[in-house]
Amino acid sequence: MGKGNPKQQQPSQNESSINLKGTFISVMLLGIFILIAWFGLYALFLSR
Amino acid sequence: MSKNYLLFSKQESRLYMAFMHVTFASLLIGGLMGLLQTLVRSGKFTLPFGIDYYTLLTVHGVILGLVFTTFFIIGFQNSLMGKTVGISDKQRKAAWLAFWIMLIGTAMAAVTILVGQASVLYTFYAPLRAHPAFYIGLTFVVVGSWIAAFVNFRQLYVWKKAHKGEKSPLLAFMVVINMIMWFIATLGLAATVIVQFIPWSLGYAETINVLLSRTLFWYFGHPLVYFWLLPAYMAWYAIIPKIIGGKIFSDSLARLAFILFLMFSIPVGLHHQLTEPGIDPTWKFIQVILTFMVIIPSLMTAFSLFATFEAAGRKKGFTSLFGWFKKLPWKDVRFLAPFIGMLAFIPGGAGGIINASYQMNALVHNTIWITGHFHLTVATTVVLTFFGITYWLVPHLTGRRLTPKLNKLGIIQAFVWTLGMAIMSGSMHIQGLIGGPRRSSFSEYAGGEQVATWLNYQLAQAVGGTILFIGIILMVYIFIQLSFFAPRGVEEFPIADEEEDAEKSPKILENWYLWIAITIALILFAYTIPMFDIMRHSPPGSVPFDWPIGR
Repeated sequence: MGKGNPKQQQPSQNESSINLKGTFISVMLLGIFILIAWFGLYALFLSR
Repeated sequence: MSKNYLLFSKQESRLYMAFMHVTFASLLIGGLMGLLQTLVRSGKFTLPFGIDYYTLLTVHGVILGLVFTTFFIIGFQNSLMGKTVGISDKQRKAAWLAFWIMLIGTAMAAVTILVGQASVLYTFYAPLRAHPAFYIGLTFVVVGSWIAAFVNFRQLYVWKKAHKGEKSPLLAFMVVINMIMWFIATLGLAATVIVQFIPWSLGYAETINVLLSRTLFWYFGHPLVYFWLLPAYMAWYAIIPKIIGGKIFSDSLARLAFILFLMFSIPVGLHHQLTEPGIDPTWKFIQVILTFMVIIPSLMTAFSLFATFEAAGRKKGFTSLFGWFKKLPWKDVRFLAPFIGMLAFIPGGAGGIINASYQMNALVHNTIWITGHFHLTVATTVVLTFFGITYWLVPHLTGRRLTPKLNKLGIIQAFVWTLGMAIMSGSMHIQGLIGGPRRSSFSEYAGGEQVATWLNYQLAQAVGGTILFIGIILMVYIFIQLSFFAPRGVEEFPIADEEEDAEKSPKILENWYLWIAITIALILFAYTIPMFDIMRHSPPGSVPFDWPIGR
């Protein structure tokens, strides 16, 4: 994308206009919870 | 005036409210049965008048799992269709026909269970035999729901014809996806009930192929779970954004998620039969893989919801990492109740992944962990979202208002429910992991050492069940208030809009032929060979058993 072309820059500015950092962290925490739950039960399964 | 504030005609409102009345009557009856079950299982209470525990258990499962949910869903979905694409007089009459057929079926099945002639639980596994009226009643419920489905299909078809080239309204699209899934899934139920159970219960067929009947039941049973869940997702994707003062995060993402649910909810029933002998493990494994595909749209939904909340907060000017979260409308029960439902789906979904993991299923199969699991997913996620919908849908239909007092009572109700369920479902999960069985009535199993470890958890379930029943009484009270006594006014039917500069949704998302063809292809792939195997190699069929439970 040409840096000097404002028409081409427009879409990328729109895309980055919403800050979704909180969403990113939230879904990562969700993923970690799922992994902990799964591996916790997997450990129980192996121990039996 | 925005369409969201425009009330339905009286005839239309009456139709949608009819479904709601059956819903909340079912909640009261089914909930009472649930309370009694937890009391019996605590070992401190015996049922009076010789009432059988398994009669209660069957009423609880059928009335809440099948009747409460189906009536709410069809009533809610009909109102969504009425609001977004409209309903003609002829379609309304057909929807009434659906209602009456479903109600007659419900009454037949309910009476048969209550007189002790169908203590077969809601899964009605053969060779337990119920009175034929039970199976015929269930058939009526399904046939009625098919009429409702075809009314919905017709509604969208007529709208599309009048709006050539336009994208269908998101909620109408979602309703049609759910009803296509329901129709395809209930074909399996219809097959086993009409071809196997009814002739066998009438005595025309001497034996029944048990494995085939269970496989057909679970072909229906898993998409049933998604039939419950998708209306909650409809509210999460397209209603909640409006309530929090935001916009739909992505129309395309929501449609794609629903299409994936359609494709991957059905060819997965064997994951309920992972310990079932007589089914080739390869096909069980293939269906486990397909089951895991459902995680994709579920995680898409989670992402989309967080993003909806954050985007709405950012637009209101909150810049800190989680500032937007604090400012969500926590005092609005229309948001709070479904939000708790969303939270409950995090452990609920994680538990679902564990259940479907082939080998780990052995850890939890037939234990009360499973009961704890679906009380999180259905009885918390789905039910609290349905309650959240009720707070605006019922007053919108009756021309009344959700007053601040009723809103506050609703918030109390949501907390009571959360507390009761945390205690009940939590203790069910733990008891399941230490081997506590599901379904069975109280027993000391001849004093086994392991059994002694279960008793405190069963007591906790009785405490949780009691709190939940208080929650049910509160909810029924609120429903009665919203139906008959709340002050007159106009409550919003909160349908969210897209962003003005939202990208256009790709047309392929509405290519119904393509998505239905893929769905059917996946079902044929996942089921043809195992079904053929089951029919060819099953052991001899079973004669009916009316004892120890049944008739």
